[in-house]
Amino acid sequence: MTWRDLFKTALSNLGRHRVRTALSSVGVTVGILTMVTMLSLGIGVQREMIRNFQSIGLETLTLRPKFEERSLFNQFGEPPRTKLLTPALADELRTRSEVVTVVPRISLPGSMRISLRIDDQEVNIWVWDADDESPADPFSSPPEVVAGRKMDSDEPGHITLSTSLLEQMDIDDYQALIEKEVELVLHAPRGDTAAFPLTVVGVLDDRRGVRLGFSDQLALKSWWYSDPELLETQGYDALTVRTTSLSAATRLLDDLEEQGFEVRSMKMTLDMANRGILIMQAMLGSVGLVALLVASLGIANTMIMAVYERTKEIGILKAVGAAPRQIRGLFIIEASLIGLIGGVTGTVGGWLLGLGLNRLIVAIMAWQEITIPQNIHFFAVSWWLVALALVFATVVGLLAGLYPAARAARLDPLEALRYE
Amino acid sequence: MDTVVRTVGLARRYKMGDAFVDALRGVDLTIARGEFVALVGPSGSGKSTVLNLIGGLDRPTSGQVWINGVELSASDERTLTRHRRQHVGFVFQSFNLLPRLTAEENVALPLMFSGVPEKERQARARVFLEQVGLGARLTHRPTQLSGGEQQRVAIARALIGQPTLLLADEPTGNLDTTTGAEIMALLQELNQGQGLTLLVVTHDPEVAAFADRIVQLRDGRIQVSGGQP
Repeated sequence: MTWRDLFKTALSNLGRHRVRTALSSVGVTVGILTMVTMLSLGIGVQREMIRNFQSIGLETLTLRPKFEERSLFNQFGEPPRTKLLTPALADELRTRSEVVTVVPRISLPGSMRISLRIDDQEVNIWVWDADDESPADPFSSPPEVVAGRKMDSDEPGHITLSTSLLEQMDIDDYQALIEKEVELVLHAPRGDTAAFPLTVVGVLDDRRGVRLGFSDQLALKSWWYSDPELLETQGYDALTVRTTSLSAATRLLDDLEEQGFEVRSMKMTLDMANRGILIMQAMLGSVGLVALLVASLGIANTMIMAVYERTKEIGILKAVGAAPRQIRGLFIIEASLIGLIGGVTGTVGGWLLGLGLNRLIVAIMAWQEITIPQNIHFFAVSWWLVALALVFATVVGLLAGLYPAARAARLDPLEALRYE
Repeated sequence: MDTVVRTVGLARRYKMGDAFVDALRGVDLTIARGEFVALVGPSGSGKSTVLNLIGGLDRPTSGQVWINGVELSASDERTLTRHRRQHVGFVFQSFNLLPRLTAEENVALPLMFSGVPEKERQARARVFLEQVGLGARLTHRPTQLSGGEQQRVAIARALIGQPTLLLADEPTGNLDTTTGAEIMALLQELNQGQGLTLLVVTHDPEVAAFADRIVQLRDGRIQVSGGQP
């Protein structure tokens, strides 16, 4: 019996009971639909995340100073630093061949109260790094310039403002702000204030209040702590080190960790996020797996019924020369085809459901005024997912068909012929 | 003498609930090539059991079955399948055609399991349907055919594998007398014209009269074996 004959006969047998075949495959459809939807969500989210991480650069490391362990004596406030990020260290790193740039960072204390004064308006704000392009959330893209230009990491006396801040201040003529003098005002708990005059060089389509260069942030912090020697005593709060490649970043990371620094790489963050997604996929995918398990019982039941119904036919086939393995093959292929049919409908259904849910999420985000890129796909059905789903569905059918097929093959031809 | 069938001490015991029933109690039967043998006897005498054992549909409890020099009772499932495919053709009382297949597809069925390509199967099925006089009924399904026509389709199906032995179990049992006689005439023609060896099980003396030799079975034993009664 050729494969063609096997498939043709199996299809014709399934066609005799279209409703039953369809109902048996519904279970597989539901299982595969769930799996495809969940896995495509995982793939889509992962793709968007990787795209964002890549725009920042995976070959970037963030170096932080080492702190003393927290103890009874330093449990309030920041513990003393044991390993400083000095300008000398930054210079040493810059001489390394695998290092492209080293950008020092200052982090302002969270207790700091800062406001921005434009003409006679004053609002409380927060300060961000001038060149911080890291996404505000996993799906946002780097901010775009709406007026003027972006700043470098260190441009003393310059500032950029965000559209969200200006909206709050009812200012919509962004162009008029360029080259305008504004003031950042620090309010110390001790009562006194200090104003820092700055020139606006750009407006960004952004949700991050204002952006300042390194030197100005250092000046703010020095005034806040009344410590003009802040850089010498505390060092930088962080160094952003961009290397030539991902492997160079990994090597440098190991080296710096050995020296006792706290190092984080984008790769580590991405890996962590990936692990999270994998766990989510496994959990959601197992819902589909349970559905498939139930579906396989349905197929097995259908096939056992078919063996009963076709007992006489099996007897006739054996009498005219069908071998047990041919009978077995016939039933296994029928069961596999039921699985495959469910796989096809489930995959198409899962893909359509993903498209629908994607629209829904985008609509909800737009309604919630969350900015996301235009053509974002939270659900991505890749070719390997389609192949995996179809193979999996077929295998589920095949496994469900093994027992009924063995029963059919084992039937005694004489008893089968007498069966009415 | 060229022997097609030889059984030696053939016995078959069935389990019916807690009791055992001896359907055959040592049957020695020899059928020569080209012979037309009728196996007669009252119901329960074991006629069909002999046929099923010779056809490889069943295995004897003891004794041996030799078909074309091959011992069947000691064979594995694979050999039995090959035996059914190559050496014997079955004709049943209730025709046993597959209702959803056309006459042509029913006849071609055995060749599908031997791996013969579809085109060749169809061509050969047509030849055999012509031979039984159903050349115009190729695409009819069993329900669209009369009893006699259905039995002719079954005969064509039994012949398509070109077996050495045709086994018929009450081939006229579901037919009226005239149609039954036509079917027996067809079988006789196959026997005389093509030298096909025939073993027909019947309880009808008129059917048995077509045979060269009548073997009478009673209570699982051969009572009379001889020429025309």
